[in-house]
Amino acid sequence: MRLRRTTGTDPLVEDLCRVLPAERVRAAPLERSIMGRDSSIFEGGQAGPVCFPISTEEVQGCVDAARRHGRAVVPRGAGTGLAGGAVPLDEPVVVVTTKMNRLVSLDADQRVAWVQPGMINLDLSRAVAAHGLHFAPDPSSQQVCSLGGNVGTNAGGPHCLAHGVTSAHVLAVEVVLMSGESVVLGDADGFAPGLDLRGAYVGSEGMMGITTAVAVRLTPNPPAVQTILLAFDTVDAAAQTVSAVIADGIVPAAIEMMDRNIIWAVENFVGAGFPTDAAAVVIVEVDGLPGGVEAEADRVGELAIERGGRVRRAADDQERALLWKGRKSAFGAIAQIKPNYYLHDTVVPRTRLAEVMNRVYEIVDEHDLQVMNVFHAGDGNLHPLLLYDRREPGIMARVHAAGSAIIEASLAAGGVLSGEHGIGIEKRDFMQLMFSEADLDAQSRLRRAFDPDEMANPGKVLPTGASCADVNALEKVPEGVWG
Amino acid sequence: MSARASLGIDPEELASCVACGLCLPHCPTFRVTGEEWASPRGRISAMRQVQDQGAAIDQAFLSSMDTCVQCRGCEPACPSGVPFGSMMEATQAELARRRRVDWRQWGFRVLGHPWLLNLFSRGLAVGQRLRLVPSRRLGLPKIPLRQHRLRVSGDDVWLFTGCVMDAWQRSTHAAVKRVVEAAGAGVALPGAAAGCCGALSLHAGLEGHSRALAVRTMRALEGSAPILVDSAGCGAVLKEYGKHLGTPAAVAFSKRVMDVHEWLAARADRLPSALEGGQDLTIAVHDPCHLRHVQRAHQPVTEVLTPFATVVALDDDGLCCGAGGAYAAMQPELAAAIRERKLEAIRRSGADIVASANPGCTIHLANAGVAVRHPLEIVDEMVDYDH
Repeated sequence: MRLRRTTGTDPLVEDLCRVLPAERVRAAPLERSIMGRDSSIFEGGQAGPVCFPISTEEVQGCVDAARRHGRAVVPRGAGTGLAGGAVPLDEPVVVVTTKMNRLVSLDADQRVAWVQPGMINLDLSRAVAAHGLHFAPDPSSQQVCSLGGNVGTNAGGPHCLAHGVTSAHVLAVEVVLMSGESVVLGDADGFAPGLDLRGAYVGSEGMMGITTAVAVRLTPNPPAVQTILLAFDTVDAAAQTVSAVIADGIVPAAIEMMDRNIIWAVENFVGAGFPTDAAAVVIVEVDGLPGGVEAEADRVGELAIERGGRVRRAADDQERALLWKGRKSAFGAIAQIKPNYYLHDTVVPRTRLAEVMNRVYEIVDEHDLQVMNVFHAGDGNLHPLLLYDRREPGIMARVHAAGSAIIEASLAAGGVLSGEHGIGIEKRDFMQLMFSEADLDAQSRLRRAFDPDEMANPGKVLPTGASCADVNALEKVPEGVWG
Repeated sequence: MSARASLGIDPEELASCVACGLCLPHCPTFRVTGEEWASPRGRISAMRQVQDQGAAIDQAFLSSMDTCVQCRGCEPACPSGVPFGSMMEATQAELARRRRVDWRQWGFRVLGHPWLLNLFSRGLAVGQRLRLVPSRRLGLPKIPLRQHRLRVSGDDVWLFTGCVMDAWQRSTHAAVKRVVEAAGAGVALPGAAAGCCGALSLHAGLEGHSRALAVRTMRALEGSAPILVDSAGCGAVLKEYGKHLGTPAAVAFSKRVMDVHEWLAARADRLPSALEGGQDLTIAVHDPCHLRHVQRAHQPVTEVLTPFATVVALDDDGLCCGAGGAYAAMQPELAAAIRERKLEAIRRSGADIVASANPGCTIHLANAGVAVRHPLEIVDEMVDYDH
């Protein structure tokens, strides 16, 4: 689809225009700066030429052109990443995969599909729904995020508690390396010999190459589902119930928690009947065979009532969909309160959820900020959102200080830096809190096995100084990138 | 046209987007291009760069703004309630002020003069019969040679007749009027006293012109009777007069405005029953954007149609069809690409016929060979007036 022709005298742009039609190479200053950000806190990244390839060969052509001009390459899908993984630093060639959005092939019997990286996560589930199948990883942004990005961040989602995150659902990936070569990692039939390079690639945040096709494993739709909304007067009671459910031997399809402030904002948007007087709500979904689902749903209700909870079951698919719509639109609802948020993604042991959450509340009080929590309670994956208005003088220093304190508190409780959003730029400089020099060097060497010159999405994930490679150009996040 | 200036957007509105991207799949131009500057989030980013950071208003900016259909499908999708339509209207008004020559002004001025529009339309109709007008390429429907006169039947409700719809699709008004009368109301008509509601001018940023049309429309539809509208695009703007003009009279006027299906759905029991055999027809309801996203009153169409036929919903989340008032004429390539997605959804539905409560959508879809009617034209044919 042509919106406007770009004519440029930049030799790199000219080279790219030999590979792609000119209308799919865009380099106007406004277009490059619009591509300067994703859904994360970072503003002011600066893209070089923006390319919209439609085939693996065209991606190879873009990579070759970038290499000839000594320019890095940043892959981008829908641009809904929360850690700045797609934010371009130092004017790289941005390769956008949104026009590569087809379902290439489907083997419903084997429950395997090959898809292009720009296909939207929910579109895949819709496309295979007639076969009684779906793609299990369901990030909250699933209606917009693309599968290439899901692979890049090894994305999770509410329903990954029982089914596992993206890596468990990717059989093979076709990757264009920075040499311009196209390789397939893994095997769509599930019989890949040798080292699991597919496993190394999933979650590599665009630092090993560009995904041009994905073989995904599809999951049969469960025969029965029950969705239960639990409301509690204290966060502690909610957290204890989450632990009690798992300790009871139940593995729900999803356990999600939201605290008071976010309940209000979400309810204001969806009107699903979330109790705005509760300190916390927990959404529990159990699925499987009808008899088992009934028994588990009853047991979840009992465990909640024992801890002072109120219980409501979704009566039908419509009510269930509305509850999930509320949960999945939570981040976007923030601007009802403040125009900006800084989101963390730490994971803590489930048994210490309440303790860490209380510490989070203390930290934001100390820094005079507001926080909202909406997260995957079942696997202890916290998502504290620090709310702020970037126009307020001096606010960023407080936001960063509180963010660091939250990360330190999570790690001190035996947690990890990121559950599912990725490290990107945002958590890059916290990596040293989690990993030793030797750990980081090993990661850097693994990355360079795929991308020796570090031209694929440079400046992300690994802190500088993590390896002896020449990364002088990216010693620090450029001025102004922090919003 | 390259200068640094504010776009006149309310700074609080402009700050209210957190860039989560949940709007992207609900934007028809993003859906067909995959390009960020053709999405609500990208357009807001562009507006911020011009208004907050002093970026130039250049070709890339104009393209990003002018490719917007202004369907406002992004608004109900936004968890933070970002008022995108209002920001786009402010931007278009500023862009219109900067254009020294704007041929659209002349086109839209005709809409304000029913006699001129009628004269022009009859000329066009004759031209079509003589094959002098390339209707298909221009996206024009077959315009009738003669206009049947609509007669006032009472003063219980007003029927807003508008401009192009009255000149080209008066038979639809006639059908709507019969159905409303069958539900027991006498219908008053503004005749030539009202014309265009001002929607096209407003979306093109021609603020002065749209205000003048609003004032004239309010004057023509006086009193306290409900104002029924059978064109979703007009109804949306009439309901927003209060917001745009900001006067108590305009606020009171907007409160009287109802989409005709809203009014009928509340009186469904008063409608006569269906003729035998009516249920054999399967109808897909196409929700016009300005009924679904702006008025948020698309459900009554299905309610009104249900007793008369088998009604199926389209499975595309109410994505725009690409008509967008004058959009199909201004951005024909994009409008056709957007329509292609809608045609696929219509095919999947297996319906015999499509019901659309907006004349622009009707014309745009009919041009692609779809059998499309106004919902109340279908009801008019199905209703057993003798009972």
